[in-house]
Amino acid sequence: MSSLSMALRLTPYLARSNGSSFRETGLRDAGLPILAFGTVTALLLTVAGGSQVFWSWSDDIAGTYQALAVVAMVLLVIPLLTLGASAARLAARRRDDRLASLRLLGANSATVVWMTVIESTVLAAVGALAGAGLYACMAPFLGLIQFRGQAIGSHAWLSVPSILGCVLAVCVLAAASAALGLRKVVVTPLGVRTRQTADGAHWVRGLIAAVVVVVGVVAMGMLSSFGAFVVIIAVMGGCFGLALLALNLMGPWILRLRASSQLKRAKRPEQLLAARTVLESPKESWRQVGGVAMTSFVGVFVGVGMAVADTMGTGADAEATLLVRDINTGVMITLLGSFLMVACSAGVNQAAAVLDRASTLVALDRVGMPRKLMVAARVKAVMSPLFLVAGISAAAAAVLVLPLTGAALLTQPVVILTIGGVFAAGFLLVRLAVAAGTAQIGQVLARPERYASMDS
Amino acid sequence: MNAILHAQQLTKHYPGSIALDHVDFTANGGESIAIIGPSGSGKTTLLHCLAGILRPDAGAITLNTPSSPLRLDTLGDAGLSRLRREEFGFVFQQGMLLPELTALENVALALMLNGTDRNTSEARAAEWLGALGLAGMEQRRLGELSGGQVQRVAIARAQVTGARVVFADEPTGALDSATSAEVLNVLLRSVAANGRTLLVVTHDPNVAARCQRVVELRDGRIVSDSGSPVPAPNFPAQATQAAPATANFKGAFNV
Repeated sequence: MSSLSMALRLTPYLARSNGSSFRETGLRDAGLPILAFGTVTALLLTVAGGSQVFWSWSDDIAGTYQALAVVAMVLLVIPLLTLGASAARLAARRRDDRLASLRLLGANSATVVWMTVIESTVLAAVGALAGAGLYACMAPFLGLIQFRGQAIGSHAWLSVPSILGCVLAVCVLAAASAALGLRKVVVTPLGVRTRQTADGAHWVRGLIAAVVVVVGVVAMGMLSSFGAFVVIIAVMGGCFGLALLALNLMGPWILRLRASSQLKRAKRPEQLLAARTVLESPKESWRQVGGVAMTSFVGVFVGVGMAVADTMGTGADAEATLLVRDINTGVMITLLGSFLMVACSAGVNQAAAVLDRASTLVALDRVGMPRKLMVAARVKAVMSPLFLVAGISAAAAAVLVLPLTGAALLTQPVVILTIGGVFAAGFLLVRLAVAAGTAQIGQVLARPERYASMDS
Repeated sequence: MNAILHAQQLTKHYPGSIALDHVDFTANGGESIAIIGPSGSGKTTLLHCLAGILRPDAGAITLNTPSSPLRLDTLGDAGLSRLRREEFGFVFQQGMLLPELTALENVALALMLNGTDRNTSEARAAEWLGALGLAGMEQRRLGELSGGQVQRVAIARAQVTGARVVFADEPTGALDSATSAEVLNVLLRSVAANGRTLLVVTHDPNVAARCQRVVELRDGRIVSDSGSPVPAPNFPAQATQAAPATANFKGAFNV
């Protein structure tokens, strides 16, 4: 029997065996990934639909709109893909233990990989189709948004093949991410169950990120020398996109450095646990706070956009006034999309983090750790690195736009206030998500027998 | 012998079954007691009720503390948490240790939860780990230790705080026979050397045979008790015999 056909036979069996405990584990096992994939798809379709409006124009000023649309798209799509990958890992991780057991029983690597890919893809497909449905419901309302003095209407509606293409892309992302995410299970079946090694976050990540930012700054400084408008747009979009990817690459390494230093200084149990939680998996910890890194990055662009609009709006003609209004509309939409992503990402990751650590929470409860200390450790593990993360990503964004705007524009009060407001809103969203996550601790401890025999 | 833990008419129901049916039980200071019985007989439920992990539906559980007798069945969640970290120690089949912490941190955490500073906690934890044959392995994570070594870490954690009662639920259940014997030696000797009371739930007749007293449960009732029947104790208002809860490791045993 081939690995694929065996995987096709085993997957529904494992899915069915999980059904009996769906009420307890269903939220983590299927609900959260589906919710995340649904949100990703709905936002992706909205961004794609909105940007297609700008590409339907061909007059003189269309190029300016298209350049701004590229910036907005990059700022939204990269974090969306990150969120999608996070959802895929969540979908795959829920099977780690069972798949490791299957490996121990003799299932070969290929079967395990196929099973993971099939399950993640099915969850992604369900979520993506739900997201497409959500987009269809929202599309008439999105059409009411005004650009160039008139509602965009049905221009923002995507064709059915485009929507299906987007759904397919989300499924492919989920499949690829699941296959990559389970490499450790395939290589060392015992590794997952015994958690033999902590996640690495090598310094090379920091080096690569620094190189990317430096190259980006140089490229942005030479923007005018690229000549063709399309090339300039491509370079600009590429720089912003690469910087966001670099932030994602560097984030876990920064968190690991910070947690190592906090571990040395930890005096109280919750400080020790918080530092060890981050060190156990810097990548997972990054997923908890990475959303705020993205909004902080976007916040700098929003602030700059508003400052530019302010400058242009003074004594401008009718066309410039319209452009100013549209820039403001664009930055608000970008910001809103960005915050929706943070809310979704923080909510999904926090809920998953508490459920994933259920056995640890039960163990701590058994040895008499007060619940408020468990909550404190959780809050500290997430909130403590937020300032650093937000600061670094805002600094990276500022360094990138500096060659375009100059220091004077960047230090205008509207920019500083906007960035401060974005920081505060991002922090608040993550804190609310942490509060929702820690509220689940009580539910876990109320049914400890469900988790007591898990992986600790 | 001094009664340290006493349960009276303990009753616990689960949907569709009765796990404990009016059980009377007394553990004396310094005793090692094996609780045996077939699956579903109620032995783990009894252990969990006595340890303040589960609340009985009816009956009374009294712990004889140095200051005064304490009724576990009347304590709130916070009170039970405090009791578990100050008076009790636990060794479970799966260890119930924290995989993200090192061996040293796992043991030290129990002391830190009681308010001991980190340096003192780690020093005392290292002392215990060394005494249990884990010197040089303090900085290893649990995944880097064998099953027997993980259980030694759990044994150290259970006693480092000076817990007067150690509860063990199938502590050798996941180990091979040679390692089981080794871990059992460590557990029994360390508990005896430090004057603790040990309650161990087990399926393993070898484990039961090594304990001073064997209590057998069936269908939620005690059907045999190898120890002398112990009358319901009269706890003194101010007990004086118990070791302080923060008593240090005595190290007077060989592993």
